[in-house]
Amino acid sequence: MAVLVKKRSSTATILLLLGALYCLAPVLWVLVAASKSSTELFSTFTFAPSTHLFDNIADLSNYRDGLYWRWMANTALYAGVGALASTFVSAMAGFALAKFQFPGKSVVFNMVLAGVLVPGVILAIPQYLLLAKVGMTNSYWSVLLPSIISPYGIYLARIFAAAAIPNEVLEASRVDGAGDWRTFVTVVLPMMRSGLVTVFLFQFVAVWNNFMLPYIMLGNDKLFPITVGLSGLLNQGAQQPSMYTSVVTGALLSIVPLIALFLALQRYWQVDLASGAVKG
Amino acid sequence: MTTVPAIEQPATERSAAVPTAAGRPRRRSHSRRAGTPYAFLAPAIVLFVAFLGAPIVYAAYLSLRKVKVSGLGLGSGSRTEIWAGLSNYARSLTDPEFLPSVGRIGAYGLIVVPVMLGLALLFALLLDAGRTKVGGFTRTAIFLPYAVPAVVASLLWGFLYLPRVSPINDVLEGIGVGSPNLLGSSWILYAVANIAVWGGTGFNMIVLYTALKAIPQDMYEAARLDGATEVQIAWRIKIPIIAPSMVMTFVFSLIATLQVFAEPMTLRPLSNTISSTWTPLMKVYRDAFTRDDIYSAAATSVIIALATFALSFGFLKLVGSRAFRQED
Amino acid sequence: MKKALVGVFAASLLLLASGCSGSDDSDTGSDAGGKVDLTYWTWTPNMDKVVETWNAANPNIHVTVNKQDGGDPAVTKLLTAIKAGSGAPDVMQAEYQKVPTLVSADALADIKDEAGSLKDKFPESNWNSVTLGGDSVYAVPQDNAPLMFFYRKDVFDKLKIAAPKTWDDYAAAAKKIHAANAKQYLGTFSATDAGLFTGLAQQAGASWWGINGDTWSVNINDAATQKVAGYWGGLVQEGSILNTPMYTPEWNAALNDGTQVGWVSAVWAPGVLEGNAASTKGKWAAAPMPQWDTAAPKTGNWGGSATAVTTQSKHPKQAAQFIQWLNTDPAAIKLLASTANVYPATIDSSAALTSPPAFFADQADFYTLASDAAKIGNPFTYGPNVNVAYSAFNDAFGKAAESKQSAQFTAALATMQTQTVDDMKNSGFKVAG
Repeated sequence: MAVLVKKRSSTATILLLLGALYCLAPVLWVLVAASKSSTELFSTFTFAPSTHLFDNIADLSNYRDGLYWRWMANTALYAGVGALASTFVSAMAGFALAKFQFPGKSVVFNMVLAGVLVPGVILAIPQYLLLAKVGMTNSYWSVLLPSIISPYGIYLARIFAAAAIPNEVLEASRVDGAGDWRTFVTVVLPMMRSGLVTVFLFQFVAVWNNFMLPYIMLGNDKLFPITVGLSGLLNQGAQQPSMYTSVVTGALLSIVPLIALFLALQRYWQVDLASGAVKG
Repeated sequence: MTTVPAIEQPATERSAAVPTAAGRPRRRSHSRRAGTPYAFLAPAIVLFVAFLGAPIVYAAYLSLRKVKVSGLGLGSGSRTEIWAGLSNYARSLTDPEFLPSVGRIGAYGLIVVPVMLGLALLFALLLDAGRTKVGGFTRTAIFLPYAVPAVVASLLWGFLYLPRVSPINDVLEGIGVGSPNLLGSSWILYAVANIAVWGGTGFNMIVLYTALKAIPQDMYEAARLDGATEVQIAWRIKIPIIAPSMVMTFVFSLIATLQVFAEPMTLRPLSNTISSTWTPLMKVYRDAFTRDDIYSAAATSVIIALATFALSFGFLKLVGSRAFRQED
Repeated sequence: MKKALVGVFAASLLLLASGCSGSDDSDTGSDAGGKVDLTYWTWTPNMDKVVETWNAANPNIHVTVNKQDGGDPAVTKLLTAIKAGSGAPDVMQAEYQKVPTLVSADALADIKDEAGSLKDKFPESNWNSVTLGGDSVYAVPQDNAPLMFFYRKDVFDKLKIAAPKTWDDYAAAAKKIHAANAKQYLGTFSATDAGLFTGLAQQAGASWWGINGDTWSVNINDAATQKVAGYWGGLVQEGSILNTPMYTPEWNAALNDGTQVGWVSAVWAPGVLEGNAASTKGKWAAAPMPQWDTAAPKTGNWGGSATAVTTQSKHPKQAAQFIQWLNTDPAAIKLLASTANVYPATIDSSAALTSPPAFFADQADFYTLASDAAKIGNPFTYGPNVNVAYSAFNDAFGKAAESKQSAQFTAALATMQTQTVDDMKNSGFKVAG
């Protein structure tokens, strides 16, 4: 395309900067608040930073022998492993739905669509009751396994598979004598790569965000993810002093890795919800 | 429909008269058995049945049950589970708190969905027009809240709302508006809606921005040569083209609205104005956990799930979208 | 139907080609050496340190503490685990008001054989709370939480106000303080703390539930509670106290900057004040509760809990042995008081409570006041659905507090009464009135 000289628009710049300010302000606040001592938190001007960030981090790290970092590790495990497994399962299912004709296909697809609409809060209770019957509650598995199935991930993977994989490529691979599984691993997965990163990020955020499932499943706080742990620090009950400084510091530290992950994977991020499905 | 799995044509290529695999002599490889797609689907189906199917059926079953106490209800064996018929549903629907909670999320949705999607569209169009130097920074900044879990986001905003510690109030007072209690009854709906808008705008912006990027540039060329302004191009060309993406963001926002839970739940201890049945899902939570009545909770869950299906599919039917359908 | 569903569920789990052992920390069991592992759910800080002492002395009964978020979430989880048939701990901390609910859900084991002899070690009111007035013993009392009044002595002295002896005094003091400084308040009516309001009603002579034969009675909307609700509603309406919840960042700020100058609370208050308002150390004093009738002084409770063995424990004998040690052994009592900041329920706790809490270092008679308060607790019966009544309190009084109308406060009691009775009737309880 010929280089088209575009005029800079100050209106656009101002509007975008206002939007950015709105989105960054609470994050900025938590950064400032985490630098205050517990007395300063409620006495000095909201956006006036202080010098206690590292004291607060040390306090938080000392809380019950570093339990906070265990929560971080757990969250990374639930979200990381859960999202990886979920992406893989979704990719397989999405590929099958996009590229094969088979009896029962529409049933499966409609179930997936229905599954997208079911709120997690509603599922958590019966999931707990059923897992308890096989004695699996209060374990890593009780949070990991339900996190692997993601109807939305399957739905997205199907769109990406339909859009990214030309039939000729599959045919060619078959002509070369490759089995279906090998075709999937060596041809399909690499072609779907950027779409699958999106599915991974989606699911990673979904698991990281999920509060209800681990809250119900886990009794042992050594297994908690960060959201459940922080909420516990916040709601200590009437007989305990509150731990707002630790909560604020914990909130800050908990969003740092997620932001880092997003910045790192940003270039893969493509969410074209409709393109694969609506055209035609 | 044949029983032999055939490679399906992507819908996008169907109209193009390109010779396809079907036209060529097909070599039936030994590996292509009828079971292949099922093998690929197996893990998903197993997990789906275990963690979505079975729990849903179980919830439906529980919604038809209730507990019957004998005597004082103290000691072992004084509680038995019996069939309840539809009484849990009747109780749920006639609960005086139920309709107001439905009305509340209706009002909440009327605020959140248009504001969030409006902002998302505005930012996406501004970014796509490419007339600013701050595009990369602002895109990342606006998307950032998506990385903050709802529980943490509500906790942050909760601090920012409390009258005595709120910088928002400092600002409002500074410009002479006075110092409203953002967690008071007249503001609370906006306070909760703001958290959802904050968290969701960036995500929807990226969705729409991606769709905009997929439009070939030459579609604008003619319009530009005719002297159309960027605003006119946006209205006449860009928005109609990304309409399908907007429909999808609308549907997913609608679903999220019906499921609003974490934000009011986290703000609740800070305020007198959020009751335990503030939204329908909070009622489910209260019945299941605070009141130890999973049967009523299950009944309300089923009602919410059915309403969600009806609304989402009804809307898609209304706009005639094929997004949720297969191409065959 | 249920079996078939579980079958499908289990079968699909088996299909997951993974060696899910269901590795479960709380899975209790004994190995060949007769060693028993017990899990203990508690929300008391530092309880793990108290338990370490037990573990060191009892290598064959090892107790693992799982810290919980607080009384309500812990009970919620326990009830869910009981319903599910697995997942409950062996030993459980339970607030007194939750004991009937837990007994009604068949969550607590009867330990009368192991703990029945401990009756004389506890005040009668505490013992009644864990036996529900019958022959069974469902828990061993751990801590007692009589209501007391805490105030900023410096502010009171400056305004020449004495600690209020009656509720009329309290109202007058509240008015005077707010008039002297529009930003200062003597207190707040918190609609998020049903436990405190219950204690205030208890002090006024209410007993919200009652048992007559096999019939329950519910008296939340009685004259005594009406009096309490009307009193606080009146203070909120005239604006001399606040209507905002306690335990919020805002409340913390008010305690710190000296705009919240009094607190009707319980014996555990020093720990909370120390954590929330460290900068005000040395400025607070404790006093007995303001009274309705100074001729017959009474108090209520806010909090206080017992330790119970759950019905899912595979080792109830060993668990009972542990909770007996925890709540009656002099060494354990001392640890509870010093390490876990608990005000022990046992009547021989005075040896463990020699010096006042650090935050009230100047008040030498702190524990004398506390033990006097503990002796004048009004009897109060809790019902099997305290959770329902409390959640009704949160909603109804939240609305009332927001409206700042005294009439709404008393009307809220009718809502509580109706919701509580309806819930019991729906479950099939026989309810009178």
